[in-house]
Amino acid sequence: MIPPTLYIATRFIVSRKRSLILSMLGVVCGVGFFICTQAQTQGFEKYFIQSVLGTSGAVVISDRFQPRYTQFSGTSSADMVASSGQNARKYYEGITDPYRLMRVARSFSNVLGAAPIIRGSVSIASSFQSEVLRLEGIDMRYHLGATALREQIISGSIDGFGAQPSAIILGWMLADKLQVRVGDNVTVTAPTGTRTFKVVALSRSGINIIDETRGYINLGVAQSLLGKPSSASVITLRLRDPGRAPELAAHLERLFSHRARSWQERERGNLALFSTLKISAGITVSLIILLAGFGIFNVLTLTVLEKLREIAILRSMGYRRWDISAIFLWQGLIIATFGSLFGCGLGALLTFLVSLIPINLRGVIFATHFVVDWNVYHYLYGSAIAFVAVLVATFFPAQRAATVPPVDILRGSGQ
Amino acid sequence: MTPHLPPPCLICEGLERYLGEEESRVHVLRGVSLTLEPGLVHAVVGPSGCGKSTLLYLLGLLDHPDAGSITIDEVPVASLSDEDLSATRNERLGFIFQFHFLLQDFTAAENVMIPMRRLGRARMEEMRARAEFLLDAVGLGAKVDRPSRHLSGGEQQRVAIARALANDPRVILADEPTGNLDTSNSERIFSLLTTLVRENEKALLLVTHNPEIAERCDWVHEMKDGVIFESRPGLRAPGSAPS
Ligand SMILES: Nc1ncnc2c1ncn2[C@@H]1O[C@H](COP(=O)(O)OP(=O)(O)OP(=O)(O)O)[C@@H](O)[C@H]1O
Ligand SMILES: [Mg+2]
Repeated sequence: MIPPTLYIATRFIVSRKRSLILSMLGVVCGVGFFICTQAQTQGFEKYFIQSVLGTSGAVVISDRFQPRYTQFSGTSSADMVASSGQNARKYYEGITDPYRLMRVARSFSNVLGAAPIIRGSVSIASSFQSEVLRLEGIDMRYHLGATALREQIISGSIDGFGAQPSAIILGWMLADKLQVRVGDNVTVTAPTGTRTFKVVALSRSGINIIDETRGYINLGVAQSLLGKPSSASVITLRLRDPGRAPELAAHLERLFSHRARSWQERERGNLALFSTLKISAGITVSLIILLAGFGIFNVLTLTVLEKLREIAILRSMGYRRWDISAIFLWQGLIIATFGSLFGCGLGALLTFLVSLIPINLRGVIFATHFVVDWNVYHYLYGSAIAFVAVLVATFFPAQRAATVPPVDILRGSGQ
Repeated sequence: MTPHLPPPCLICEGLERYLGEEESRVHVLRGVSLTLEPGLVHAVVGPSGCGKSTLLYLLGLLDHPDAGSITIDEVPVASLSDEDLSATRNERLGFIFQFHFLLQDFTAAENVMIPMRRLGRARMEEMRARAEFLLDAVGLGAKVDRPSRHLSGGEQQRVAIARALANDPRVILADEPTGNLDTSNSERIFSLLTTLVRENEKALLLVTHNPEIAERCDWVHEMKDGVIFESRPGLRAPGSAPS
């Protein structure tokens, strides 16, 4: 049997349908907007993270270091390229034996793939114009397993890339600037000389700063072009659980005596930007829910005033103070339940509609449509905020209803 | 009175009550004592404004006396918590207000079932059956499912009476229960209440302006200016000798 207080609450709600539905609408909108805005900010953030993971990897292993035991000796060493005062380390550029480190790294269960990359800044020219090229020499045998390069190819083909010393893959925005297409020739000028490459494919990572400057050639070709035989600048790792990248990076750094940085560390600035956006959107929308809470507070306070007589009657028939409170708390609970239920529906609908909106994003990331993320937590958080707001808004009218002395009303009315 | 009487259902001693604030403060009850024995019907009569309703609110545990004590079924109520007071009102007391107070959004039967739902001892069908039975007893068998705002004043009053009887209370406090009723309905209600009380060892305290009704009660308490100045047996009570 339903509790008598719930029974009475539903009847009170029905008798004030209009104003309660209006105040519930506020909750519905609040929850819906909350879900929709979170879906967008989270969507863009996830898209960005996906791009980062697919392009530069979850963990990047780079320069070898040696702990410095004597603080002021050896500073004149020609090998030393950088030293961090805090860690007191001596860094040596690059990785001299990448394949050995890769073998060890792959033995970790979280590591799905590892690939060596040699990097260098060179210049690239087409018949139209010349640009800076951030060249990456890659080993295609490993690269596809460690990055999302295959999914990032938007035209041309990378089949047989490893066997074509003069093949180059260009970022699509860079190709745009150079006005070259798949099949065209470009010349790359490095300190060691100039070479001609044939564009075999265009890639799109989604991160503009990469797509404007990136070009991929074979590792061996790059090593000779950059004058660094048999070494790599970095090893990039793909992980089963990217969330645990920082721990793995710390572990590998100690194990290998090479700098190892997780994506979280490398992209700290951008990630902070996204979470700031998420928080500010969350606050804005929580204010809407808060406003809805005020509406409900008003309606319920009015209901209490309007129902003073019935409250007194109920008290006279043996309903306790707490029962009277419960009648009004139930009303809040019902509003919150239906409000957040419909709010979740609205949120899903809005999220879907927003994902259809075409946009032309060319800033930090590239996107043609609003990127949305479908995440059950947005729905849970939105509903939770609604419940807290509504229950706080209900608490005071309910409290007030319970403290009405019944006899004053019974004596007062009718005389 | 015989020496073997069972314990009284309700005792009050020296009840005093002030109403109003500061200058308009009135000494409404100036020491009222009463004992309601099981199986007897008591009438309280007196001019308007003498404090009859105020007394009933105190006995109904809806108000607190400024002095004096109330004992219901041998339990002194002064020490009870809100929880226990509410439980006592729900289970042991049936209150019929001077101005019929129904819940507007509910039907006649639903109104009668409200105290039963609070008690929560019976199944829904049992409550419903009892509500129909009580409404039939007050002559509203045909209007069980009528929303209470669509009932006449007298009908509402009778629903309120049925509701007061819902949980089969030991003590019934009725503030002019027949005030709005025609003679035949008035008769029906009075005999319903008195039969119930006499056959089931309950106690009834009845406020009335109708001398006809008052004299048929076992005891008549005459009240004036907040005191009971005379208590005597009803002239036409079933047990009294014809005068
Ligand atoms: N809130 C109040 N403040 C001051 N005086 C009050 C208040 N409420 C009631 N009174 C006074 O208390 C007295 C008793 O009121 P009560 O309602 O008990 O009278 P009654 O005997 O029931 O009258 P009636 O027969 O008309 O119903 C009245 O004189 C009334 O004016
Ligand atoms: Mg009165």
